[in-house]
Amino acid sequence: MNVLVWSALIALMVPLQSVLLPHVKIAGVTPDLALVAACLAGLLGGELHGLLVGLTLGWVMSLFSAIDPVVAMGVKGVVGYMAGFAGRHVVYLSWPMLTLGIFFLSCSAGSATASLLTLNGQQDLWWALRTVVLPQGVLDALAGGALYWVARSRFSVERWMAEYRT
Amino acid sequence: MRMVNFRAPYNTGRLVVLLAVVLLVGFLLLPTQFQGLFQRAGSPVGWVVSWPLRAVAGVSDGIADLWAGYVALRTVEAENRELRKELEYLKGQNSQLREAAAATDRLAALLDFKQQIGGTTIAAQVIGRDTGNWYRTIILNKGEADGLRPDMGVVTPAGVVGRIVKTTSATSVVLLVTDPNNAIAGLVQRTRDEGIVEGTSNGSARLKYIPMLSDARPGDRVVTSGLVGGFPKGLALGTITAIHKEDEGLFLSAELVPEVDGERVEEVLVIQSLAVPGEGDRLGAPKVKPKS
Repeated sequence: MNVLVWSALIALMVPLQSVLLPHVKIAGVTPDLALVAACLAGLLGGELHGLLVGLTLGWVMSLFSAIDPVVAMGVKGVVGYMAGFAGRHVVYLSWPMLTLGIFFLSCSAGSATASLLTLNGQQDLWWALRTVVLPQGVLDALAGGALYWVARSRFSVERWMAEYRT
Repeated sequence: MRMVNFRAPYNTGRLVVLLAVVLLVGFLLLPTQFQGLFQRAGSPVGWVVSWPLRAVAGVSDGIADLWAGYVALRTVEAENRELRKELEYLKGQNSQLREAAAATDRLAALLDFKQQIGGTTIAAQVIGRDTGNWYRTIILNKGEADGLRPDMGVVTPAGVVGRIVKTTSATSVVLLVTDPNNAIAGLVQRTRDEGIVEGTSNGSARLKYIPMLSDARPGDRVVTSGLVGGFPKGLALGTITAIHKEDEGLFLSAELVPEVDGERVEEVLVIQSLAVPGEGDRLGAPKVKPKS
């Protein structure tokens, strides 16, 4: 995918995340589609792609949130990079495996965010895990898994991944 | 003398005339008896005739039903479709008008409130919510280009919404009163005890640092104290629902129900600058009357 397509995707991600998704909150939490997109970008395009998309998405999303931009960029960038690294070492990626992978990455990113943010005294790490990190991890994994499953059933993703990375 | 020939066809006519005369005379002289006789004689005839009559009536009704139920309904069905379409259109229009009326009411209240609080305020519309799950914020459709800056207070006629924490040229992010990371100076309206209002992790708010000897009780309203931050004095923050004494603490804390539900707010006013009262206004000095 070229820069234009990625830019359009990033621009669309903000209204999707801030306007539409708040209407479908589950347990007070919405899936972080930017994180899912960074994961998929890393898996499909490699480490550099994942890193760049993660950094950009983290920065753009932080403009429309009270979150510290450095934390948002850092966490999403690392997630994109790690997804790219993991994707390079996987020959065949099934959708349950990808779902588990996104769950793990989302939980790691959520825990890191909770540790890095200077949250109020009421919000300790256990609160963060219980109310944000784990529910969001589940939603992210489901969203990412569903997207990948749809993409795989419609397109030859493996061939595309191989061609895209070479 | 001519013999009466009953076989002759022309005599039939005479016979009929004779019979008619007899019947007429009979009807005139004995009306009741003749009617009864005819009635009795007609009964079996009527029974016989009723069969084809009913059969024809049945067929006629069937045809009428067929016509009314199918053939004539072809136009009714089209008419029904048109009416349904019109109903949908009117429903939509009704909904739009209700929405417009509600928006007009809200904006009128906002305008009225804007005149009440004085100072410079900017009306803005809520266009989104936080892109993450860590903070409770709303996104406004106005930003630096409209003169908005971080730390400006955001209010509605109902009370305080929150405080701007981030701006771009066209948007602003407002941290809601219910976010645990927000802190606004407040006071209990009845007892005048001051404290700090902050959000809680369950989506409500609390007033901290109330003096231990305070008489504050559930039902008391908490308003802005105007001491710190971008809010004038007296804007509603919430209503106390419970008072707690902190363990080994020197202060009381009160749980609040926020006056404004930040999740549902649609239009807000951003307080750009507070109306600074003059020296005379602050000291309550009488105004000099102009000489007449």
